[in-house]
Amino acid sequence: MTPDGAGSFLWRSLLLAHRWRVWILCAAIFGVMGAVAPHFAEPGNFANIVKGAGTALPAAIGFTLVLLAGQLDLSVGSAMTMGGMLVMGLAPRLGWAGALAVAAAAGCAQGLANGLLVSKAKINSFIVTLGTMLIVYNAMAIYSHGGTIPAPKGDFTLSDWLQGPVVGPVFAPRPGQSGWAGAWLTLWLTPRNFVAIALLAAAWVVLRLTPVGRGFYLLGGNRQTAWYSGLSVDGYIIGAFVISAGVSAFGGAMVAMSEAAGSLEVGDRSLMTIVAAVIIGGTSMEGGKGSVVGSAVALVALTALTNGLDCLGAGYEVNLMSSGLVLALVILYDAIWLHVRRRKLGQRKDLLAELTRSIS
Amino acid sequence: MKRRAVLIAMTMAAAMAAICGCQDKSNAKTPEQRAADLKQSLAVDVSKLKSSNNQPLIIMDDSPLNPPPRPADPAALPEDDAGHWYDMEYAGWRCTKEDLPKSPADGAKGKTVWCLRHMDHPYTTAYVNGMQKVADAYGINLKVLTADKADVNVQSRQVDQAINARPDMLIILPVDAVAVVPMLRKLKQAGVPVIASNLIPVDEAMKYVLTWSGPDDWGQFRMLAREFAKRMNYEGGYCIVRHMAGGSCFNSRTWSVVTELKKIAPKMKCLDMQTTQLKAEQTTPVVAGWIAKYGPELKGIVSADDSGAQIGINDACAKAGREDIIRVAAGNSKVGMDFIKAGKLHAITYQNAEADGALPMKLAADWFNGKTDLKPVYYLPKHVITAKDVDKYLPAQW
Repeated sequence: MTPDGAGSFLWRSLLLAHRWRVWILCAAIFGVMGAVAPHFAEPGNFANIVKGAGTALPAAIGFTLVLLAGQLDLSVGSAMTMGGMLVMGLAPRLGWAGALAVAAAAGCAQGLANGLLVSKAKINSFIVTLGTMLIVYNAMAIYSHGGTIPAPKGDFTLSDWLQGPVVGPVFAPRPGQSGWAGAWLTLWLTPRNFVAIALLAAAWVVLRLTPVGRGFYLLGGNRQTAWYSGLSVDGYIIGAFVISAGVSAFGGAMVAMSEAAGSLEVGDRSLMTIVAAVIIGGTSMEGGKGSVVGSAVALVALTALTNGLDCLGAGYEVNLMSSGLVLALVILYDAIWLHVRRRKLGQRKDLLAELTRSIS
Repeated sequence: MKRRAVLIAMTMAAAMAAICGCQDKSNAKTPEQRAADLKQSLAVDVSKLKSSNNQPLIIMDDSPLNPPPRPADPAALPEDDAGHWYDMEYAGWRCTKEDLPKSPADGAKGKTVWCLRHMDHPYTTAYVNGMQKVADAYGINLKVLTADKADVNVQSRQVDQAINARPDMLIILPVDAVAVVPMLRKLKQAGVPVIASNLIPVDEAMKYVLTWSGPDDWGQFRMLAREFAKRMNYEGGYCIVRHMAGGSCFNSRTWSVVTELKKIAPKMKCLDMQTTQLKAEQTTPVVAGWIAKYGPELKGIVSADDSGAQIGINDACAKAGREDIIRVAAGNSKVGMDFIKAGKLHAITYQNAEADGALPMKLAADWFNGKTDLKPVYYLPKHVITAKDVDKYLPAQW
């Protein structure tokens, strides 16, 4: 192989590694934590990681969608909180299905308000969603009298079902056993996780395989071009916010139903994790680039990191610092990568050699 | 591309499987070892241990638990009626325990105890120091996890981790009095013995725990309310700076005062109440607003915290030239006791943080040693500190 060939191979390898960077990061965290953290690499703990990541996954999907469209939605956390509070508060009167529908609809209404203010009133999405976040959160605090809303009559039936095995108890490991196959079927594939994964799959299919989904990329990449292409820019923006808040509220409701309690903190504390995961997952802050799968993998990676640090007995300050460090490293890496790539693209060695030959 | 994805997935799965193969779960003891460990554990005497302010470390209120009759429907009563809070104030006193794990009766030595504390705070640091002293005396391995800044999601996640890791005992400081119920239920179903501590959960939760220990917040604040009323000459308006929403102190440090004052000082009137997240910078404008709004009608302020929140209260009083306002608070931090000495705070509750942490560990050791007749609730002794006796409690633990 010639030196040029070796260089080309290295560059191709780097490109490949860059493409799969969030997967590599995730694998590295699992590998390191599995090697050093007690009780980390156990089926039950992996189930905890999947469950933990699934908690914020619907909101992360919504946040990714809005970011792809070139906007920002800081109100996904408050939409989660609203979904959780409403489903628990309304379930005694409307039943679980009715309460869930109202919770998701309320989320969509929140998104509609955001979308209209951003697209029609031309207010910056950061300002709009910051305001919505505060209004909705505090409205929920008033609704719940500042407290937590428990499951009606202390009934854990739905909670148990949502966290139980999808496929039935036939595959459940016997007491004292912790087989991986059993764990896969009984601990990981719970209705709660199944719903989150189904949402992720649906979002991926729509964004990657349909013209509507590609429209979000086009809009985020260049708003003017999107408009020239005949895309309904306002419609897409409103749609992104409606879906974002809607799935966030739905996700918050699912968390509340499975935890048998609606808490003000469910969404409030999740926002920073969601933002970090979406950025680490490769979605561009400028829009038009990214994927929901990247966000989901980054969410799993961050959850595994905090879980592993907990297994090691590290303090929460170390936890927060580590998550921040990963985010900072990813941003730094992206900046360096962009710089190297631009230099590489700008070099065009073959042209330079041809020019040198022609001069000589 | 698909082949690469499959390759990566297979590599990850293989790595996980390889890592998992390294797990060793053998932890069996012979009957002789169990007997020897029990004998050694029973011989441990922690009654002589002292906290850092030279107070006894293991202290508890031995008064019998005799709750008054429960109202038929507490929720139907108004909030300023003590009966409304019956299930919180007497949480666990009469509860029938579920089928809880049985004591191994093989001693505390070598046992692993996890403590899930609600937040990182000077109080909880002192709390863990006290807990660690007792753990060291018994040879117990203590692991402490913190739920960020009282984040119920994080505590829920840590409970799941504890279920997976199966410690010999879990001591939990519930972030949320209500949301902890399903967590405790899960722990009970998983067979993990639990002692709740410091923050009292709702009555529904008590059936899932071996016992609860901590300060008698309702009782302490009723004592503090009586001291407050005396200093207010049993009349005048007052405001309350509340604890953080969700935790048990949010209600106990508010409604114990309101209901007690309604009973013993009907001429006193609660003008306002608000949470300021125990932060000085949030408390100052709130209290300044109260002073401006109520003027001379405001004669006293009750605070759920004698450190951050009290700094804000004193700052607002000083700026408004209202040093005449009577101030009482939950204590007893260094900040609070310094304020008492400086005459800027009139009374605080006594709450020995190290003893608070030591007691559940002592109860855990007793349970490991085979003690089965644990009371449902263990309170720390109650006391109100004033300028007369503040020196007795110095140096402060936190």
